[in-house]
Order: sequence, then structure tokens, then C-alpha cells
Amino acid sequence: MSAGTPVLELRHVGKRYGAAAAVSDVSFSVESGQIVALLGPSGCGKTTTLRMIAGFVDPDEGSIHISGCDMRDVRPHERNVGLVFQDYALFPHLTVEQNIAYGLRQRGDRKAAIAARVEEMLALVHLEGFGARRTAGLSGGQQQRVALARAMAVAPEVMLLDEPLSALDAKLRQELRFELKQILQATQCTTLIVTHDQEEAMSLADEIVVMDRGRILQHGDAPTIYHAPRTRAVADFIGRANWFEGTLGARMPDAHRVFVTAEGTFRVAADGLTAESTVQLCVRPERLRILTSDETVAEELNVLEGTLASAAYLGSEIHHAVMLASGRTIVCVEQNRDQAIPARGTRVRITFRPQDCIVTGP
Amino acid sequence: MIVLSVLLLIVPLAMTLSMSFDARDYLGAFPPTDFSLRWYEKFFSDPYLLKGLKTSLQLATLTALVSTALGLAAAVALDRLPGRHAELAISLFLSPLIVPGVVIGFALLLFYARAGVSDTFLRLLGGHVLITFPYAIRTVLAALGGIRPSLGEAAQSLGASPIRTFWTVTFPLAKTGIAAGAIFAFVFSLDDVAVSIFLSDPDRYTLPVALVSMLHANFDLTVAAVAVLIMAASVVLMLALDWIAGLDRVIGAGYYKP
Repeated sequence: MSAGTPVLELRHVGKRYGAAAAVSDVSFSVESGQIVALLGPSGCGKTTTLRMIAGFVDPDEGSIHISGCDMRDVRPHERNVGLVFQDYALFPHLTVEQNIAYGLRQRGDRKAAIAARVEEMLALVHLEGFGARRTAGLSGGQQQRVALARAMAVAPEVMLLDEPLSALDAKLRQELRFELKQILQATQCTTLIVTHDQEEAMSLADEIVVMDRGRILQHGDAPTIYHAPRTRAVADFIGRANWFEGTLGARMPDAHRVFVTAEGTFRVAADGLTAESTVQLCVRPERLRILTSDETVAEELNVLEGTLASAAYLGSEIHHAVMLASGRTIVCVEQNRDQAIPARGTRVRITFRPQDCIVTGP
Repeated sequence: MIVLSVLLLIVPLAMTLSMSFDARDYLGAFPPTDFSLRWYEKFFSDPYLLKGLKTSLQLATLTALVSTALGLAAAVALDRLPGRHAELAISLFLSPLIVPGVVIGFALLLFYARAGVSDTFLRLLGGHVLITFPYAIRTVLAALGGIRPSLGEAAQSLGASPIRTFWTVTFPLAKTGIAAGAIFAFVFSLDDVAVSIFLSDPDRYTLPVALVSMLHANFDLTVAAVAVLIMAASVVLMLALDWIAGLDRVIGAGYYKP
């Protein structure tokens, strides 16, 4: 299959339970070899969407296509879809080897072929020599890898991963995230990942579909979602944000525009924006710079004044809470470069560039 | 209090045990003065009782099979029903538990007469399946309920049809629970008097029924010997169950839910 062909395509898919719509008008596609993340808080409909693709839930509206075939009335075991469950769902009565061989056996592969494929999968997930083990004795990370190997063994058209790393502790999660990405890329697997963890989505996926209350809020790659969120909900869900409310003002000679708030007037780079009504501006905490000295700043930069309310030392980062003249507190994140941390109560200036401003609708 | 309860449970059993080895040929004062195996010998040479034993064993085995198979089928279906319907159906299936055996026996006697079921063994089998079915379905349901739904879904996503999923995943994981259900059914069938006494006839009767009529006719300590044998069989079965599955796991909740 050539690149650019959608392997998985959802067209206006909807599902309601009683009066409540769990999923409504969801459309997106995953191209061959692409990794897409379905990101949203719990209860946003992402798991229902995944279960509809796997065939465990029938959509009420719209259609789901895998490799061009409409999946209506195709039962779960007739779909060539690999599933990795949140709880891994390894068969406790089978060994690691038998777990991985399960799908191949259902397909009726020959014994020698099964054995070879199982070895290949064990090598892929770095579990050589674990074949004869029971699954119960494995660590969380190992179980996760067996689940991945089992799902990939039958070379499914689409891999579906349901919160693949959420059951692991933070450190292991980061290691496995990296490994998972390598495996998925090495095998050119077309993959849909369902997750509520924005870091997981951004680090693993080529594209992110942000969902909330059953609807798609935005669809794009990680930088787009992070730097150009369309709504406040998306910006809030992905990363941290400091918000200012105000109105867009006149266009300036340098293509910047004025954004007037109760806490000051800022220059923003907002080329595409036309709305003159009340809008919102957000600045990511890591784009804010804290100045304690009186050095002069470039005219172009936006400046806020405030006092340092508290500082949290988090190792690699330092989070400063700065109280503005309005009494509101905003958060600045600095990389830890062994710099001196100013004392509480210090007068500081905060600067940020026009291009650090994200103007969104309500 | 605990000591009292234990005494209440243990003492009659201990007395039965010692009396079954009593060497005297009349019902003498407790405790026995001499010991022998004469009552056991008498039991194994009494064609009337042996015939009852044979019927009882055949009946218990068949009851266990039928009851467990029905229980399994019903439990699988119940597992898929939405909550409220399932609860209603389960209470319906468990209802034989609250009807006294005597009532079931008498009702079945009338029913069989009307329905034209004349074969005594068939009559007994129907009655025993009825009274053991609640136990079978309870244990099987507990075993199925303990299996995470994601396991079945994983099997289906790997290409196993629902039927293959049942035989390759659900059944192997539930089989200790299913075996437990079968053993419970076997023991309860072996033990039953109340229902069987209505459904037996002079030619086809279970061992407990034979013992009851023996008590009426000519009381001797063969009854004690048989009681001890039945107790021993029950203990062996329970030990076997404990060894296969772990009794606490069989009676308690399922196995694999976190």
C-alpha cells in the first residue's frame, strides 16, 4: 500500500447511550505507517471510539473503514486489528510464547511458521529467552511488551493501543515510551493510540486528535496543537497556560497587533486573526523570562511587572509563581542552569515575545 | 460459644464413627466395648443396600454432569445479560434453594404423574438436577465473573470467534470453578433424602432412602457404617477440590480480577 492511503478512516461516527452522546460526528483518518493519538480526558469518548474500531461497540451513525472496507457488520474476530489493552489482558493460563502464538494459531498457521514468528516477536520486544515463562511472574513493563508482541504477531492492518503506558510508574513509562516508538516505527505499524497523557501523545504520535465530550476539538501535529490551539479547552488540556482576557486592537506597522487587557497592553503576532471582540491570550509558562536586574529590554518585547510569590524547585525545572499588580498569579518555568533563585517578595519583570502569544477564541 | 458449636458439630460425628466399629450385635450402651469391621462387612454383603449405593453413584455422577452443563450454559448467558435482567434471572435460577426438599419431592411426584414420566431413574435425575442446579450455577457464575472481560476481547481481536474464545480462554480459566460446581452437585445428590424418598420405588432407590427404610424395619449399626463411608467420601472430594482449586478460591470470589 502506498504512503498517503488511509488505512483507517472514520466518517461522522456517532454513538449514544440513552440520551447521552458518547461520541458525535467524529471523523479522522490514519494513513499507512502513521501513528495517531486520540487525546482527551477520561470520559471524552476516546475509548468508545477505539472499541467501535475494534468492533466491540456498534456505531449508531457514520461508518468506519479499514483499508477501504466498510466495517459495518464485520465482527471483532473478522477484523484484522491488533489491540493492546490498558490492563494488557495477557492470558494467565498460557506462557509468554503461547500468548504471542495465540493469534497465529487462530489463523491456522503452520507450527514451524508460528515458532519462527514468535521468536521474531520476542526479539523485537527484547524478551528473548522469556518464551517459556508464565505471564504472572513478569514485571509491568515486560507484560506490556508481551501484549504488544501478541498484538503485532499477526501483522494487523491497524494497531490500537488503549492507554498503553498508564499502568506503569513514571520512570518506566518514559523508557518504554521511547522503546514503543522505536518498535512502532521499525515495523511501520499503522497505529492509533488512545491516551489522556499529553506527553505520551506528543512524544509517540505524528498527529494528535484532541477530543472532549465526544467531539473532536482539534486535529494536527504536536507543534500545531501546542502553539496554535484553536480553543481555550485545547490549550488548557495540552500543557500549562497563563491566560489574559482582552480585546484585539489596531494592526501595527510591523505586522503585530495590539492586545489590550486590564493587566497591560501587549504586542501579539496574530496574522490570521480578525475577531475584534473579546478574545483570550495565553502564554506558555516556559516562554516567560524573569528579569531581576534593571537591564533594558528590546522595545518589541512585552513586559509585565510583579513580585515573586513562591518558587518550586523541581530538579530540571524551577517553577516561579509571580503575583501581578492585579493580584493574579501567573507561572513561569525556567530551566535549572544552577542560577540563583530570587527570594520571595523580590520585584521582578517578566518578558515575552509577540510570537509567544497565542490568541484563541473562547 | 465456639467450643459449644464445635462440640455440637463434632460429637455426633465422633459417636457415629465409634459406633460404626462396635463389635456388639445389639445397640448397646455408649461407648462400645469391643471394635470390629462387622457392620462394614454387612453393608458390603447386603444386596439391598448395595443396589441403593449403585443407584446413588450413577445418579450423583449423571446429576453432576447434567447440572454443571446446564449451569455452565445458563451462567454464560447470564454473564452477557445487562445487570438488572441478569439479577432477576439469577434469583429465578436460585429459587429451588428456598423451597423445602419435601415440597419439591411431593410436587415433582404429582408433576411426573401428570406428565407421564414413569421411569424412576429419570424421575430421580430430574429431582436431583433441580436441587443441585442452584449450587452448580452459583459456582460457575463466580468463576466466570472472576474473568476480566478484556481477556475475551483480546482473544477476539486476535481472530478467535466467540465459540473459540469460550473454549480457549473462558473455559480453561473457569474450569476449576466448573469442577467445583460438579463436585458440589455430586455431594448434594449423594446426600439427598427429602426429594428422593418421594421419587423412589421398591425397585429403584438411592442409598439414603434405603437407609431410612432400614431404620424403620430393622435398626442396626450398618447405618452408622454407611454414614461414615459417606462422610469419608465427602471429605475426600472436598480435599480433592481444595487440592485442585483451593477451596477458599472456589467458594470465594473469582481468580483473575485485580
